[in-house]
Amino acid sequence: MSNNTNSILSFMRAGVAGVALTIAASAFAPAQAADPRADLYAKFEKAVKGKTVAWVPVWVGVLEGEWTRVMKAHFDDYGIKMVMRDPNLKSDVQLQAVSTLINEKPDILIVQNPTTTLLARELKRAMESGIKVIQVNMASNQLTDAYVGADVPKLGRSIANEVIKACGGGKGSGKIAILQGEATAAYSFDMTKAAMEVFSKDPSIKVVSSQPTNWDANKAAEVTTNVLQQNPDLCGIMSVWGPQTAGAAQVVKNAGKQGQVKIFVASDGQPADCDMLEQGLFYKNLSYRADTQGEAIVNAVLTLLQDPRPAGSTQLAYYTTNYWVSSKADRQYCFTVPKE
Amino acid sequence: MNALRRLWYRYSPQLIIGELLEKRWMEPIVPFTLMLLVFAAFIVTIPSYASIVQLQQLMRSFPEQAFVAMAMALSILSGGIDLSVGAVFAMADFLTLYFLQVQDWPLPLTIVAVLAWGALIGAVNGGLIAYAKTRPFLTTMVVLIILRAAYNKITGVYAAELAGASVDSAAWDFLGAGFVFGIPINMVCLIVIGAIAHLYLTRIRSGVHIMAVGSSRKAARHAGINVQRSLFLAYVLAGMLSALAGLLYAARQNSAGTDTGVGWEVNALAAAVLGGISLAGGRGTISRALMGAAIIFLLINGLVQLGTHGSLTSAAIGAILLAAVAFNVKFVKNKGKILQKIYVSPSLVEFSPPASIERGGGTVFAENDRLKDSEAIALDKIEGPEDIILDRSDNLYTVNRNGSIIRFLAPNYEKREEFARIGGRPLGMAIDRDESIIVCVAGMGVYGVRQDRTIFKVTDETNRTWYRFKDDSRLWLADDLDIAADGKIYFSDATTRYDLSEWALDGFEGRGNGRLVCYDPATKTTRTVLANLAFPNGVCISHDGQAVLWVSTWLCRIYRYWIAGPQTGKLEIIADNLPGYPDNINRASDGNYWLALVGLRSPVYDIAMADPSFRTRMVKQIPPDEWLCPGINFGCVVKFDDNGEVLESLWDPGGVSHPTITSMREHKGYLYIGGLENNRIGRVPLPGADKSWTGWDSYWGDKTKKGAASAVAHARADHVVSA
Repeated sequence: MSNNTNSILSFMRAGVAGVALTIAASAFAPAQAADPRADLYAKFEKAVKGKTVAWVPVWVGVLEGEWTRVMKAHFDDYGIKMVMRDPNLKSDVQLQAVSTLINEKPDILIVQNPTTTLLARELKRAMESGIKVIQVNMASNQLTDAYVGADVPKLGRSIANEVIKACGGGKGSGKIAILQGEATAAYSFDMTKAAMEVFSKDPSIKVVSSQPTNWDANKAAEVTTNVLQQNPDLCGIMSVWGPQTAGAAQVVKNAGKQGQVKIFVASDGQPADCDMLEQGLFYKNLSYRADTQGEAIVNAVLTLLQDPRPAGSTQLAYYTTNYWVSSKADRQYCFTVPKE
Repeated sequence: MNALRRLWYRYSPQLIIGELLEKRWMEPIVPFTLMLLVFAAFIVTIPSYASIVQLQQLMRSFPEQAFVAMAMALSILSGGIDLSVGAVFAMADFLTLYFLQVQDWPLPLTIVAVLAWGALIGAVNGGLIAYAKTRPFLTTMVVLIILRAAYNKITGVYAAELAGASVDSAAWDFLGAGFVFGIPINMVCLIVIGAIAHLYLTRIRSGVHIMAVGSSRKAARHAGINVQRSLFLAYVLAGMLSALAGLLYAARQNSAGTDTGVGWEVNALAAAVLGGISLAGGRGTISRALMGAAIIFLLINGLVQLGTHGSLTSAAIGAILLAAVAFNVKFVKNKGKILQKIYVSPSLVEFSPPASIERGGGTVFAENDRLKDSEAIALDKIEGPEDIILDRSDNLYTVNRNGSIIRFLAPNYEKREEFARIGGRPLGMAIDRDESIIVCVAGMGVYGVRQDRTIFKVTDETNRTWYRFKDDSRLWLADDLDIAADGKIYFSDATTRYDLSEWALDGFEGRGNGRLVCYDPATKTTRTVLANLAFPNGVCISHDGQAVLWVSTWLCRIYRYWIAGPQTGKLEIIADNLPGYPDNINRASDGNYWLALVGLRSPVYDIAMADPSFRTRMVKQIPPDEWLCPGINFGCVVKFDDNGEVLESLWDPGGVSHPTITSMREHKGYLYIGGLENNRIGRVPLPGADKSWTGWDSYWGDKTKKGAASAVAHARADHVVSA
C-alpha cells in the first residue's frame, strides 16, 4: 500500500519535472536540437515511409525472385509499399505494364529491360511525369535516375581474360564459342562486345561462333551441338548467363568433351550455378550475386527517395562487385533460395 | 386471376427472348457478354482502371493484336487458316525498323514497302493455296517456320544497329505515341480499318465472294465466283493486315526482340474461336474476331496489373478461354434448338360452345347437301386455288401453289393458261377499276397484274413496329385484300411470326400476330391500320364502301372497321363465336356477304386453346404429325348480313369435293368455290340470285353509288381486337 503510494508520488514528481523541462526547452528552442539522431530518423521516415515502389522484371525467375525477396524484406521494414508486375517474358505485356504503372504514379519505378529500345521511350515519359526510374542489370538506351547492376563490360573483359588464360597462347585449339542471351538486351550485347574487344587483341583466340540463345537452355543446347559438330576441337565456351548454359554443358558432357571444352559463365550466383561448377560442368563462374544486388537496389531506392531533387536530376550508378567461383570453397558467392 | 393469366400469356417474356434469339446480332452474345464481364471485373478490382489515361493506355496497347486477329479471321472466313500471321507481323516489325533506322528511308516509302512485304507473303500463301491447291494449314505453317527462322537470323545480324538506333521524325513519333481527339492513333487506324473490313466482307462484291467461298467452295464455284482469285485475295489481305500490325508495333515499341510475334498466331486463333468464328469457314464477322481479341488482351493486361504471377496468368487465361469457348460452342450449336423450344408462345383463348352444326339441328349452320352436286371446273388442272375471281368477260382467274395466276377462259372454262407468274404463294385477289388483278402473295407482299399480263409490285412493306426486336416492316403473310372506292387497298398480313407453311404454329399461339394494312395509291405509302390481330384473314369492303369487314381466323370472329362516314376509325365485332374458322369474305349479289369457313371448331381443340401450357408442352414434346391441330379439312360457306347475322350455310358433307374451303365468289347467278388444298374449282347455281350481278360491277360499275345500298348497322361489341 505505502509502496504503491510512494511510486505514484514519485511518478508525479517526475511529471512535474518533465513539464518544467519542456517549458525550459521551448524557451531556448532554436539554440538546442532535442536529439539529432532522432531527428535524422524522423527525416528518413518522412522521406521513405508510405512511398510506393513499382517493380517490373522481364519475368520472375530465380534471379528476379531473389531480387524481389531482398527488396521486399527491406521495404517491409521501412514501410515502403512495393507493387510488382510479372510480364512472364512477353515484351509487349511488359511495355503495357510499364505504361500503366506510369499512369499510376508510383514514387520509384524499377525495371529490368528486355532490350535496349523497348522501354526507352516510356522510361523517359516516366521521369517527365515525376517518377524516378532505376534500371536493374539490363539497361536501356535511355539513362535514368539510377542504374543498379553488374558493370557488364567489365564482366565481359574479366571472363575473356580468363578464357585467354585457359585457351590462348597455344593452350588448346584457341577456338571459342560465345553464347549470347537476347541479342538486343544491353546485358548480353555489352558483355559480348567487351569480350570481343579482348579476344580480338589475342591472335591465338578464334571465336568460331557467337549466337543468341534467348536465355533459353534448349536453344543453347542446339547451338552448342552445331558448334561442336563443326568444331570438335573447341576449347572454350563463354556464356553470358548461367541457366541457359546448363543446356550447353549437358551437350558438352554427352559429347564426352567435359574437361576439353571449358565453360566460362557470368551469372547471378543462383544455386544451380555453383551446383554445376561443383559437378565440373562449368569451368569458371563469375558471380555478381543477386542477393547483394538486391541490397544495392534498396540502397538506390533509399537514396532517390531522400533526394529532394525531381526525377531525372541524377544519373547514379551502383555497380556491383563480381566474385569468381572456381571450386566448392567459393559456395558463399552463390545465394540460397529460402524455402517458403 | 384469369385476367392476369391472359395478360401473362399475351405478353409472355418468351416472345421477347424468342425474337431476340432470332436476331443475327445475338450470335456473338457470349463473347460480347464475356468481354463486358472481364472489363467490369477489372474496373472493380483495379483502382482507376476506367480512368481516361488508363483507357487510353488500353487502346494504345490493343490494336496490333487486333489486326493480327483480323488477319487470322479473314483467312478462316475464307475457309482456310493462316498460321503465318505472327511471323509476318514480326518480320514487318523488323523491316520497319530496318528501313527506317538502318536504311534511313523516308516514312511513307517504309510504309509502302512494309505493306508490300505483307502482300508478298500473302501472295505466296494465297498462290500456293488457291492455285497450287496446297492445304492451308501445312502451307502457312511452313511459311511460319521459314519466316521465323529468317527473322531470328536477321535480327541477330542487325542486333547491334537496332540496339543503338533511333529515328528522329515527328511523323514516326506521332504514329507511335500520337492521339487523334484523345484516341491513340493506332486505335483510330483499327476503328477505321475494322469498319472498312466489315463493310468489305458484307457489302463489297469481292469480300462477299470470300465469305461465299468460305461457306461452300462448291456452291461458290457453281454460282460463278472465281474461287481461286477470292482465296488468293483473302491471303493477300491477311498478309497486309499482319504487316500493318507490325508497322504500328514498330512505331510504338521501337524494338524487334526475339519474342516479338511468337505465339501471336495462337492468340489470334484463340480470339477467332472465342469470338465464335467457325473454323469451317464462312460464318463469322470481323467484329467477333475483335471481341475475341479484346477478351484475351484484357485478361492478360488485367491479370498482370493485378500483380499475378506470370505462370498463374497464363494458366488462368487458358482456363477462362477454354470454358468460354466450350460454352460458346454449345451455345452457338444449340441456339437454334433453344429458339425452337421457346419460340412458340401460346396465349389464352377462351371460347364458349358455338351454335350447333348438326344436320336437322335447326340452326342456320345445320349441315346440308347444297354443295354436294357442285360442278367441277378445272378438275386436276389446278393446285390449291385459295381464291378465285371472275372478270367482266366472265374469265375465271385463280391462284396456284407454284406462284402463278391461272386463267380459265369463258364460257366453258376448258382452256387453261398461265396468266402471270409472280412467284411466292399468291392468295387473295381483287380486280381494280382498271381491271388489273391485285393479289396478295405470301412471303412477298401485294402485287398486281395488268390485262396485258405485265406484273407490278404494289407494296412489300409497311411501317415497322418500333418496340419489337423482330423487323416486321416486310410483309410476312399477305393473305387477302379488297379495294375501297377511293382506290385504297386494304389487306391482311395474317401473321408476322410465321411463314405460310407454319400457319398451324400461329394457330397454337392464337395471339395477335397479324395486322390490317392499307396501301394508299395516292401517296404510294403503306401503313398498318390495325395491329395485333389474331390471324386476320378475309378482307371485304362493305357494300356501302364505308367499312372494311375482316375476320380473325383463330378467334372465329367477324370484325367491322369503319373507314368512312361518321364512325370512321371505329372497330367492332359483328359476329362472334362462329362454329368454324372463317377465311375469305366476298360480296353477295343480294347486299349480303359470303364467308368461307375453312375448318370447323371441335370441343377438344377449344379446350386446348384455353390451356396454353398444354399447347406449349405439345409443341415441345411430341412430333408435329401428332400435334392436335385445328380441323381444317372440312368446312362450309355461309352468308351473313351487315349486322353479322348469319343467314344460311352451304355444305359439302364429308368434304368430298370441297375440303378446306377458303374462298367463294358469286358471279352471274353462280357461286364459285376455291380451296387452299383443292384440285378443282367448284360451281353451284344460286337459285333466285341476280343473273347479271358481277363483282366488278358491284365495285366499279355505274350502278354503284357510294353509301347507297346499306341499312344502318348495329355494333354488337365495342373494340375488342384480339385475345
